[in-house]
Parts: sequence; C-alpha cells; structure tokens
Amino acid sequence: MSGATVELRGVTKRYGSTLAVDELSFTVPAGRICVLVGPSGCGKTTSLRMMNRLIEPTSGEILIDGQNVLHEDPVALRRRIGYVIQQVGLFPHETVAANIATVPQLLGWSRDRIRARVDELLALIGLDRNMKERYPAQLSGGERQRVGVARAMAAEPPLMLMDEPFGAVDPIVRNRLQDEFLNLQRTLGITVIFVTHDIDEAIKLGDRVAVMRTGKLVQYSPPAELLAHPADDFVAQFVGHDRALKRLGLLTVGGIELDRTIDRSRLGAAPTLSPSTSVRDALAALLVADARAAAVVDGSNYLGAITLPAIGRMLRGDDAK
Amino acid sequence: MTPNEPLVRWDWLASHAGEIGFRVGEHLELTAIAVAVGLVVAFALSFAVLRIPRLYPPVTTVTGILYTIPSLALFAFLVPYTGLSVLTAEIGLVSYTLLILIRNIVNGIRSVPSDVRDAAQGMGYTPRQILWRIELPLALAVIFAGIRIATITTIGLVTVTALIGEGGLGYFILLGMQELFSTPLLVGAVGSILFAIAADSALVLLQRALTPWARVR
Repeated sequence: MSGATVELRGVTKRYGSTLAVDELSFTVPAGRICVLVGPSGCGKTTSLRMMNRLIEPTSGEILIDGQNVLHEDPVALRRRIGYVIQQVGLFPHETVAANIATVPQLLGWSRDRIRARVDELLALIGLDRNMKERYPAQLSGGERQRVGVARAMAAEPPLMLMDEPFGAVDPIVRNRLQDEFLNLQRTLGITVIFVTHDIDEAIKLGDRVAVMRTGKLVQYSPPAELLAHPADDFVAQFVGHDRALKRLGLLTVGGIELDRTIDRSRLGAAPTLSPSTSVRDALAALLVADARAAAVVDGSNYLGAITLPAIGRMLRGDDAK
Repeated sequence: MTPNEPLVRWDWLASHAGEIGFRVGEHLELTAIAVAVGLVVAFALSFAVLRIPRLYPPVTTVTGILYTIPSLALFAFLVPYTGLSVLTAEIGLVSYTLLILIRNIVNGIRSVPSDVRDAAQGMGYTPRQILWRIELPLALAVIFAGIRIATITTIGLVTVTALIGEGGLGYFILLGMQELFSTPLLVGAVGSILFAIAADSALVLLQRALTPWARVR
C-alpha cells in the first residue's frame, strides 16, 4: 500500500454565526504524517472529520489524490480511509478478529482473504493470534488501541485519519504505541492526518505540524522549523519555553557537525555516545559527567567530539538556517 | 369453602389432567401472541421515535394511558365491539406490553456509546447497517429486560381474561371461586406462578445465548 496526497483548499465550516474552521488550506504530500495541533476548540477535530465527511464543509474543496471528496458517496469514501478515534470505538459485541475485519467485510472480501489479512495485521501490531477470539472488554487499554489501528488499516487505505488515538492510555504505553505507530507508518508509507492537543506528540510524530487557533491555520511547517521559528507569540507560547531543548531532541549527534579538531586521546574520561543519541540526551550526559566534551563513536570508529559550547550555539539558534 | 374438605384433592387433579394441560397450552398461546404482536408494534413505533424524536412524548403518553387503564375496565369496554373473543383478550394484553417494550427499545438503542456509533459511521457503515449490526445487538440486554417484564405481566393478565371466556389457567381460578372449591383455585394460581418463573428463566437463557460477549471478563 502507498500513500495518498491530501489537499485542502479554503475549507470552511460555519455553525450559525460562528466559524469553526476558517479558510483552511494546506497540502500533505503522499506518505507523510501531518499533525493538526492546537488548544481545544481550535477546530482541529472538525477539520479532520470533514475529510471523511462525517461533517460537511460549508465551503472549500478537499482533494485526495486530486479527487474532490465532496463529489463522492460518503459511505464509499469512508471505506477507503482509515479512521481511529481516542475512545477507539471497538465494537464490544464483536471479537478482535471480527472488529479488524469490519471494512474488508463491508467491501465484500472473500472469507479466506479476510482471515489471512486479520492474521497479517495481528502480527503487524504484535498481538498474539490467540487474542483473535477475545472481546474488547478482555483487552488492556494498549491492546485496544492497537486493535483500533489494525481495524483502520485492514483494507489497506492510502490515508488514515487519527483523532487523539493515544490520548486515553498512560504515558509509558503511549510512548510505546507512538514508536510502534511510527515504524508501521514508515514501513507502509501511508499518509496520516493526526489530531492532538499535545505539542510533544505533534513534534515527535509529525513530518509537518499544522498549528491551529480559533479555526485558523497559524503555522504549517516541519517540527524543527516550528521550534526554531514560531510564526507568532501564540505559537511560541504553545510550543513552550523549552522549545530550544525540544529542538535538540529532534537532532542526533550523528546528524550534526562534530568537532574533529579534538583528538580522541584528550577525551579519556569523557562520556562516549553513539551517533543515534539525541543532542538533548548528549547535553544531559555532559552535565551529569561534568564534562565539556563527549566522544561520538560508531562501533570502534571515532567520529568527533560534541562540545558544550557547540550545544550552546544550537540552543541560541546560531545554527538556524 | 366446604368444611372438612382438604386443601388439595389429588383425585380431582388426576381426573382433570387433560384439561389442565389444555389450559396451560392456552395460557402459553395467549401470552406468546401478545408478546410477539407487542414486540412488532413496539419496534415499529420505536423506530419511528428514533427517527423523529418529537414523537417520543406522545407515544409514551398514549401507551402510558393504556397501561394505567384497569384490565377489567378495558375488557368490559372492548366486549361490546369485539365480543367475548381471543381478539378482545389480545387487544388488551398487547396494549399492556407496549409502554415497557417501547421504553426499553428506545432507551437501549439510545444508550449505545457514541464512540462506537462514530467509529461505525466513520468506517463506512450505512445508517441501516448501524441499526442492525451495532445498535440492536448492543441494545439487546436492555430490550430483553423489557421483554421479561412484559412477559411476566402478560402471564398475570391472561388469568383475568377468564372473565371474557379465555384465560388459560385463570379459568381454574374463576372455577374455584364460583364453586368455593380450593383445588382448582390453587391449580390456577400456583400454575400461573410456576409458568411465569419458567418463562422468565427461558428468556434469561435465551438472552445469554444471544449475547456471548456479555459473559466474558
């Protein structure tokens, strides 16, 4: 399966005299994750629900691979778009297997094809095959979320809409589900539009982050750009005072310019880091070791040193392009 | 009651076994028809109410009034029109089931969690598929609670229809009172209680078989 391109053009939703969504326009390239983020009531969920026409836009166009969804039959449209919500909405009276089979069954797949697909998805989300005949009440919160994601992916949709899908589980499980989800999305290459009110989740998952406020799009950019150059005070406040630190969390020591003038022998007692360490964790390691520099080592290969002054320059944004 | 007569004359029971069986069958038939017809009418009205919520208050008012009319008065009112017939009995019996059944069907369907409905709609269920595959199965427990009350109420009311020539086991109660003879009176009273218990147990078993997901955890 591969992703679909999604384009919104001047999408507006009006309830009486209030504007819930105001002239929303942006494009999500195929295979990317776009996160809609903003405080409650900013119109992010309304925007998402217009994309599969659970809510009808007042005006504007929504194009999936160039086709205006407003000219399509809503039921057929929804069957080719994955949909995951915070409360999951698993059908309590159906087994895990039957829940996952929902859309393939609506599409009239053969029994054998559905059974094979259910097994494949269970393996993909890391759920044991003997869970198939369980009912949702017998699952943990994390397992329910996984089944919800599997159900949404069952008919290989090129686009998934996810409304705070990890909002109802505890932080440890949420973190693990996010990692699993990222892996899955990278493997499958589907396009995802994801709603959250949690800026950290947006930065972690998004290839693009769309910040919304009172129905308007305030900024639409990659997470690093959002942290480095917030469009206005609202966005700056929303991403948090620690945005510089958060930005360090997006960079790895293997991905930045290292100081090669410092010889390995001078770093005897200094911390040793692998290239996949985030710059944020490198900073923590330096502070804990009370060191000014750390060695970045790939296996036995010395790549260079990362120094406190260099991290300081990054924090101040001297490196910003 | 005649002095020195025992409470139960077993020889009477033995000699009337055939008739007792016939009356039990009649009781079952009157009850089954009333609950079945009641369900059909109640589902039709409930679907209308779910589609047009404005109809709910008038529907509950009318069925509520029907429910409060004393059964004897209702039968007395109907006899001039429909005579001493099964039809008269069933009109009364059905009208008493409606309030309970409609309330439970409507509330059962309305209590389906909104996230389940939202997920179903978002994945491409049509409104009809949502009703039949999601809402009705999930409302089954509440609907069954209504069917059980309606059934037990109907079994009790069937005995009253003895006064218009129907009555199932109620016939024996009437007979016992007319002849001041305790044996048939007990057959009618105890019989209808046992019948109600049996019917209720059967419905519980049926509900369990139809809702396997409610037994897990």
